[in-house]
Amino acid sequence: MGVNGKTIVAAEDRGATRGAGPGPVENVYLPKLAVLDRVQDEIAEVKTFYWHFVDEVEQAKFRAFRPGQFAQVSLFGVGEFPASLPPSPTENELFFTVRSVGSCTAALHALKPGDVFGVRGPYGNGFPMEQYYGRNLVFVAGGIGLIPLRSCIVYAMAHRERYGRLQVFYGARTPSDLMYVRDLKAWEESAGLECHVTVDRPADGWKGNVGVVGSLLKKPEINVAVANSTAFVCGPPVMFRFAIKDLLQLGFAERDIVSTLERYMKCGVGKCGHCCIGVAYVCVDGPVFTYEQIKKLGEDI
Amino acid sequence: MKARLMRSEDLAKLVNAIRRRGYEVVAPFCNKGRDTYYDTVTDENIGRVRLHVANPYYPPKRFVLPPIERLLRVKRANGTYGIEATYEAPKRAIFGIRSCDVAGIYHLDRFYLGREFPDTYYARRRRELLLVNVVCTDAELDISDACFCVCTDTGPAARDHFDLQLMDLGAGELLVVAGTSAGEALFEEPIFTKATQEHVERRRQILSEVRKRFKTTTCWFSATVRYVSQGSVPEKTWEEIGNRCLECGGCTYVCPACTCFTVSDRPTGRDEIERVRIWDSCALGGFTRMAGGHNPRKSVHDRRNRRFFRKLAHYFIQRELSMACVGCGRCAAVCHGDVGMPSVVEMIRRAAALEDKIEPVPADGR
Repeated sequence: MGVNGKTIVAAEDRGATRGAGPGPVENVYLPKLAVLDRVQDEIAEVKTFYWHFVDEVEQAKFRAFRPGQFAQVSLFGVGEFPASLPPSPTENELFFTVRSVGSCTAALHALKPGDVFGVRGPYGNGFPMEQYYGRNLVFVAGGIGLIPLRSCIVYAMAHRERYGRLQVFYGARTPSDLMYVRDLKAWEESAGLECHVTVDRPADGWKGNVGVVGSLLKKPEINVAVANSTAFVCGPPVMFRFAIKDLLQLGFAERDIVSTLERYMKCGVGKCGHCCIGVAYVCVDGPVFTYEQIKKLGEDI
Repeated sequence: MKARLMRSEDLAKLVNAIRRRGYEVVAPFCNKGRDTYYDTVTDENIGRVRLHVANPYYPPKRFVLPPIERLLRVKRANGTYGIEATYEAPKRAIFGIRSCDVAGIYHLDRFYLGREFPDTYYARRRRELLLVNVVCTDAELDISDACFCVCTDTGPAARDHFDLQLMDLGAGELLVVAGTSAGEALFEEPIFTKATQEHVERRRQILSEVRKRFKTTTCWFSATVRYVSQGSVPEKTWEEIGNRCLECGGCTYVCPACTCFTVSDRPTGRDEIERVRIWDSCALGGFTRMAGGHNPRKSVHDRRNRRFFRKLAHYFIQRELSMACVGCGRCAAVCHGDVGMPSVVEMIRRAAALEDKIEPVPADGR
């Protein structure tokens, strides 16, 4: 049996040992040095950090990441935290979008262009984008939940011919809580993608939709692609619960709803034990799970 | 596996033979009373090395996974950082490791060296480690009230994963079995003589007698694995277990098969820090708390459920091809709330039995 469609390979097959032990293996905990290029303000407490590896070989290796994977970011002297990768591998620049919420993320926010920090990864399974060839993709995001989904959206746009309809449903509390406004604008104007944005509480001058993100799915003038579709859901717990309910009501099968989970993590490589939910180590078995798998984890997410 | 015979009075000679081969030898020593502890064998204390001592509360896990271990040293200079991975892997032998703890080290091997990301720190220490197992045969000294290796099938005699195994046959004779070529190399020593089929037969007889001397023999393990894996343990049983947990984390720190750690950066100089990993415990409230305060695993019974689920769920046993409980009984010995593994196994079995729905049929048969 495998989690997320992956076959669980017995330890012995991967070089586990008895007695003498294997030769020196790569040090998976070693961060690679990275340089901060520039910082872009997103919303309150949230910034985007453009960066590159000091070593060009590392840069080239890392750029083979898949949408939905994550990296461990090191602020030396403060610690390490897991950060999702919002860029698509089809884009040129590497960046993180991070909310300042704890000591490590605050330390990242304090960095200036030219400052050096550490990155290792990419880790996790990522979204199996090749499994979705020929399918419609429905993205449902709330607040900063758009950060990990941005990678898939941009990836799908870059490989437009491989996918059916692309729909983005995005909600935030207020207009000033909307992430990636420059992307949203481009998506709304794009012919290749249908982008619907809503806010819970409008501000002066807001002309768009008002209501939670689930309300978009029920609007009579919006035709959500349900047949042959995969829905991506990411957002705060309450939004997640209601969006899942709405999607199931629309007729989505549990295995056709995918999400990416967030957990406290120390290692990113399935060792420290902090991210384990039920039967899954989120860092290596996830962070991407179908709703069908999430229900079977054996523990609340 | 090849077996030889040695005299029990030659124990120190065997220890010295291992030391001469360049190993730091650690062995369990007896303090005043029943306290025992692992310490390095020296010329001064070698006379106190015994075959039969109570298994120390602190497992030999720390010789492959130290409680605090430096991973990196990072120096800041000229606006950038120099990162150096630091390794410590002494050539070391654990003399007198009990069978349960051999199984514990084997479990750590499966966990740390298997799957996608083998752990190089662990691998380096493990490669230099020699395990000299002693079979528990003395009912007074070797076997404690909490021992239950007979239930987890990890003892009293390890069947594998040791380099050398010593077993007391009585009458001053020890049967020595080599599990690896490193162990077999020690047979060169002049202290060894030929073993016969009669000795092997005596080993078998003694083992079947020793099995009867265990006080904890609640063999509900396989049934409990089934209940936990099926998710059929009632929520109120987990609550009851949780209510008795004092959240001290003691069970995880004495467990020879627990693997969790946290990582911390600490300053060591003006422009110098070190990154260390430190044993962590799923019993502690902050184990899953994320930055910003959200904690998906809030209540204590969720955390207790977690520990036993991780150890007993069939999924994880299959994943590592090894169970994360080796029957050493340390959690039972240290737990103030009496929710060590044997009690939990019993509580789960009892709860499952109470779930049976039996309706008495009245005498008229309808």
